[in-house]
Amino acid sequence: MNLEVDDAELARQIGSAAGRVAETEFCRRMAPRIRLYGLRHLRDEQAADDLTQQVLVTTLEALRARRLREPEKLASFVLGTCRMTVLDMRRNAQRRKRLLNQFEADGQAPVQPPPPPLDQERLRRCLQNLSERERAVVVMTFYDERTSADLAGFLSLSEANVRVIRHRAIHQLRQCMGAAA
Amino acid sequence: MSCLNPIDPAVLADYWLAALPPSEEEAVEEHLFDCDRCGARLRDVIALAEGVRRLARAGSLRMIVSDVFLERAASQGLRIREYALPAGGRVECTVTAEDDLLVARMAADFSGATRVDLSICDERGVEQQRLPDIPVRSGASGVIYQESSTFAKALPANTMIARLVAVDETGGERLLGEYTFHHSRTLPGPGSWQSI
Repeated sequence: MNLEVDDAELARQIGSAAGRVAETEFCRRMAPRIRLYGLRHLRDEQAADDLTQQVLVTTLEALRARRLREPEKLASFVLGTCRMTVLDMRRNAQRRKRLLNQFEADGQAPVQPPPPPLDQERLRRCLQNLSERERAVVVMTFYDERTSADLAGFLSLSEANVRVIRHRAIHQLRQCMGAAA
Repeated sequence: MSCLNPIDPAVLADYWLAALPPSEEEAVEEHLFDCDRCGARLRDVIALAEGVRRLARAGSLRMIVSDVFLERAASQGLRIREYALPAGGRVECTVTAEDDLLVARMAADFSGATRVDLSICDERGVEQQRLPDIPVRSGASGVIYQESSTFAKALPANTMIARLVAVDETGGERLLGEYTFHHSRTLPGPGSWQSI
């Protein structure tokens, strides 16, 4: 299948004669996006994997049944399903288990490659090269995910200033670590 | 995989931290569901955040920390070795294999100080490192300095002098407090710098 096919065409092909290939491409394309959403909202690798599986099953079922009326809105449809599923997961863990069991045979979420290992020693040096305030903001922000309001008190700065310092520090760290812009 | 309007990595960090207003968060999510390049950037930001978290947990950073930071570390089961000194104070100190974080509470009067530096000196008082413009909370009666526990565990017996210094606009300095740490080694290893 042409991997450049757009979302709308992909949605149309699912449920057609070429559906199986289209479904594989759909999973390849959407699974990493769903998983990122899950990591952000569920803060747990296993839960993010469960969400990925569940959203793929739910959306595929809808696509096979031609329930998506505007195929060009496939990405929004998947995102909306993510939002609903996370709400549902939080409300009812039991229901999640039942759905996963029901669609076990259809589980098509590709295995996600582990992220490339970060050079911890290089990161330590990069952190030590930041100014004291930048380092304090970055470490305390990411260590216990504190808000700008929390840090503003400790640093005797405004929340806006804390945000500016955090943004500057993240850019410096990425640059120091050799990340692409 | 190209993107005409890439999301700034700092904004992605805000998204990861749930620090964006709802409307902006929704816009970021819409974009991420349509753009794998920005998704890859978000993964980089997450990896950076996790790396920072690991280093913080390892206690291997020299930095000023807050009480809340220490409370959180303690609640996560990290073992904190702590020394408290008044201005002009001296302390016999060490670090053991079981310690995760090593901190010193240094009391000082910061009245009138607009910028405070922390100067780390050897036993002769010669400066070896300076942490300029350290964060000092308004009305604080001291700062909490975290020494790298990784470094301290490898350190032979020695004396370190720390100085808190107020720096004015012209670069003039005023000593706020001096703190002397006599470190003795409790882990196997060299007993002094000379024997390394």
